[in-house]
Amino acid sequence: MNLHRLGTIIGIELRQRVRSVAWYVLLAVFAVILIGMLALSFAAFSLLSGGNDWFFSLIIMLVLLLTLLVSPTLSGSAVNGDRDAATLAPVQVTLATTSEIVVGKFLAAWVSGLAFLLVALPFLAVATLAGRLNPTVIITSLGILIIEVGIVAAIGVGLSAIVARPLFSVASTYLIIAALTIGTLLAFWLGGTALRTTQTTVTRDFDYSALPPTCDPWADVRAEGCPSFDELECTETTTNSFEVARFDRVWWVLAANPFVILADATPPTYDNGYPSDLFSQIASGVRLAQIPPEQQTSYDGCDARGWNASDPYPTTEDQVRGTAPSWFVGLLVQLLIAAGLMAWGVARTRTPAKRLPPGTRIA
Amino acid sequence: MVGAMDVGIDVAGVRRSFGAVHAVQEVTFRAAPGRVTGLVGPNGSGKTTLMLMLASLLRPDAGRMSIGGVDPVADPAGARRLLGWMPDSLGAWPSLTAREVLVATGQLYDLARDDARARADQLLGLVDLAALAGAPARVLSRGQKQRLALARALVHDPQVLLLDEPASGLDPQSRIALRELLRRLAAEGRTVLISSHVLSELEEVVDDAVFLVDGRTVAGERIAAAATRTRVWRLRAVADASRSLEADRAQVAATLGRAFDDVAADRRDLLVPFADEAAAVAGLRALIAAGLPIVEFAPAVGDLEHAFLDLRASGHAGPTGAPSGPVDPPPADPHAGWAPPHAPDTRPDDGSPA
Repeated sequence: MNLHRLGTIIGIELRQRVRSVAWYVLLAVFAVILIGMLALSFAAFSLLSGGNDWFFSLIIMLVLLLTLLVSPTLSGSAVNGDRDAATLAPVQVTLATTSEIVVGKFLAAWVSGLAFLLVALPFLAVATLAGRLNPTVIITSLGILIIEVGIVAAIGVGLSAIVARPLFSVASTYLIIAALTIGTLLAFWLGGTALRTTQTTVTRDFDYSALPPTCDPWADVRAEGCPSFDELECTETTTNSFEVARFDRVWWVLAANPFVILADATPPTYDNGYPSDLFSQIASGVRLAQIPPEQQTSYDGCDARGWNASDPYPTTEDQVRGTAPSWFVGLLVQLLIAAGLMAWGVARTRTPAKRLPPGTRIA
Repeated sequence: MVGAMDVGIDVAGVRRSFGAVHAVQEVTFRAAPGRVTGLVGPNGSGKTTLMLMLASLLRPDAGRMSIGGVDPVADPAGARRLLGWMPDSLGAWPSLTAREVLVATGQLYDLARDDARARADQLLGLVDLAALAGAPARVLSRGQKQRLALARALVHDPQVLLLDEPASGLDPQSRIALRELLRRLAAEGRTVLISSHVLSELEEVVDDAVFLVDGRTVAGERIAAAATRTRVWRLRAVADASRSLEADRAQVAATLGRAFDDVAADRRDLLVPFADEAAAVAGLRALIAAGLPIVEFAPAVGDLEHAFLDLRASGHAGPTGAPSGPVDPPPADPHAGWAPPHAPDTRPDDGSPA
């Protein structure tokens, strides 16, 4: 990998982009959508108090969504588009290696994707100023955004080197992103439901039917003729079986979702033990899915401790404690996909070429 | 420093097919340094595929190639250092200027930025594009693009030049300039391989010719045989209102002792076949002695064209076998036989390399 040649290839790519009008139109449309979203969010959250954390995380999510939508167009035709325009072969015949060409195009696509983050930066700053925010949340979420843009760029450039036609490689890039965002969600849902197991619940309670109809056992002052709880008989234990979805077996599917990665990587914020922003909400949802349902639960209404004890329900924060953070697993999966596609693309573009993609002309 | 003797092109038994299309079936030739070698063949005869293999972009299915002693398959980087390739279609990065295209290409050949700039300016002057240095390559005309592509092929001062249809789209003046440039590059000891199907254009510049028919090189002895076979000469008498062309035609036929139909009329010229050059000399003497006011007497088609058309007309008598029996003279219009008579072009239009 020669840095001088790599830099030249990146320079060629970026110079073309900077000089095309379409590029600025795309940036402007991006900015307009963000302005609209920001205005809407302000209007919505000014109605609520203390919604600032939610507001910031929502804006970051929107930026991620928009960059995921824009990035494939920047990278998805990098190699095959050049082949169509007959500008690839004159570069291949120079001393630039195939890896330098493909990696150079990837880096150029990454940098141009970052331009969209740059456009989004003022909006993020506004969102930040509008809320009392943990600076680590901003820094980590920005870091994840930068990495995600790079991963999409690598997937797009890799596919553009594998698939012969620019239109199809852009479409394939979108499909992979759809698989990661919506597909993982569906797989999680369907997979968890398909892998359901039986949960048995053993229940025993007071025999309320023995109470005279007018009696209210919970009344503070016991009415005349009504038995106290101690006097009530207990029913026979009943056993019920249900099927429960086993999301604990498929939670890792969600780990590769870019939105989950973003949410899980940012440090969670809790308000009285409950998530106080969108990131923590999503992250805790994924974390809670890791907890397997108990095979057997029992409820004993007759045991006074069962309901009388002052043992509070565990908060989300308590429940999440001890579960595994998944974002780096997800990021690793995405990196493997991206690197694999890049390596495949390099192999397909290598010269002297053994085989050509069908219907392509090498020059 | 590579010695001048080493930088030739050697190709032996090279073959390449794309699926069922056998683009190059059996190519063997040598292009010597210091000479311009023409690669002659009709459309679809495998010229571009061969160029792509020599340019280290395409791997041959079989055979051996050497560019200045370097095998472009085993050591593409080494071969690329030596060779300059000009594709038949110049793709230009849409918004880069002509100068930037050359600077970037120079940098891809490991030239330092300043060296690449100096080299770009030098080359822009060489191909007469200095006035358009700042224009986006996209807006250049076809001929200007061709010249830019040529400059790009020369960026790293290559010892071997592979030029695919370099003259297409050039105006006459650029064509002459190209010819002079190629002659000069060859005189400097470089190997120049140039492909074209415009034979008159090649004729002006090549020292040697490699004939490619249906993906095969034609053996030298067959070319030599073709060159000595009957060819048509064009003769023109001074125009005179008192004599008709038909009268001239009859007189020429009578003087040469031919049948009237042996002498063909082509606009104001007459076309007469002669078995060889000696026969042509004798014929001209006889015509002048007979008092015909001959002002022009020359082969109707160029040497390359003659050999080429003859080879095509003789078809597949085997790759090296000489055709038996006398060959019919080419038709009066030398371009009439252009369509491939034997192998229709089966290449799909969407573009496997031709």
